[in-house]
Amino acid sequence: MQKEPVQKHPKVKLWDIFKLFLKIGTTGFGGGMAIVALTERVVVKEKQWVTAEEFLHGLAFGQILGPFSLNTCTFVGYRLRGVAGGVLAATAFLLPSFLIVSLLAWLYMHFQHLELLKKALAGTNPVVIGLICAVALDMGKKQIKGGAAWLLAILTFSAAALLKLNLAFVLGASVLWAFSAALIKRRHG
Amino acid sequence: MLTLAWTYLKIGMIFFGGGYVLIPLLQHLLVEQYKWLTLREFLDGVAISQLTPGPLAMLATFTGVRIGGFAGGLIATICIFLPCILLMLIVGRYYGRLKEIDLISLTMDYILPAVVGLVASAAWSLGTTLGSIREWITLIAAFCIFRWTKINPMIMILGSAMLGMLV
Repeated sequence: MQKEPVQKHPKVKLWDIFKLFLKIGTTGFGGGMAIVALTERVVVKEKQWVTAEEFLHGLAFGQILGPFSLNTCTFVGYRLRGVAGGVLAATAFLLPSFLIVSLLAWLYMHFQHLELLKKALAGTNPVVIGLICAVALDMGKKQIKGGAAWLLAILTFSAAALLKLNLAFVLGASVLWAFSAALIKRRHG
Repeated sequence: MLTLAWTYLKIGMIFFGGGYVLIPLLQHLLVEQYKWLTLREFLDGVAISQLTPGPLAMLATFTGVRIGGFAGGLIATICIFLPCILLMLIVGRYYGRLKEIDLISLTMDYILPAVVGLVASAAWSLGTTLGSIREWITLIAAFCIFRWTKINPMIMILGSAMLGMLV
């Protein structure tokens, strides 16, 4: 594999990358797509550090490989200043959330026994489950098409929820299934 | 601490499909397998990690702090994000030349139904923590709101926490 030449932007300082993603990581409440939109506006439209096309490529890969808000930041940082830029962008983006969650977790551990906090958290519990149900349904409507997909969804649900099988095993089997399906699909067009 | 690092690294390597697959994975490992957290604490953690701009994976930070203090949180966060940051760096380098990318993205498409099944199973087991009728009604109401509006989950969580304090 030949390596793609990294775009050199001598003007973009590592410090500027750090500052920008720290800002995005602090103000980007709303998560996911909100972050991507914010990043796109600053990096593509305002500063013109990367082209719109390049940004879209990064987003496409970011969606395949896990949390795409973080991945998009890493990608942009990398295209600007190589590995150091990528790692720095990712760190700066995560830092504010990391500090907030650490602080909240610390408070949680120390004040868990307080009646008021218990009540507040108990109030959020059903909402969180409702959110997870809504996400499952939403993903299901978008991603489950055809009998085979339904079968896979139902099988994994039963294996995990009802049979309580080892999750690594269930996932491994699903990956194998998906990979074979992809191979077959590619061969037969 | 080593177990902690290894556990989160493993999870970091296999999470795909937008991050929600983390909920069943972490729940399974931390609550059922290692018993580091109770189901209730886990649910509280999901609520708290929704209060930040970071991805849902900030749940790893919460559970890490809960298990091993600040150091635990730091290790958990680094380990869970390390694999995808590394992958993204590799992709950034070779992205014009990845010939097998269609195969990878097809596989990812085909795996999504399994992710849906697993996320649903997480909702199923978390549902066992609910006791009163009122909680079930709240769940259904919250579900409907998330389903038919584009409300920010953070606002819903803060709102329900306040309601919780009042009743």
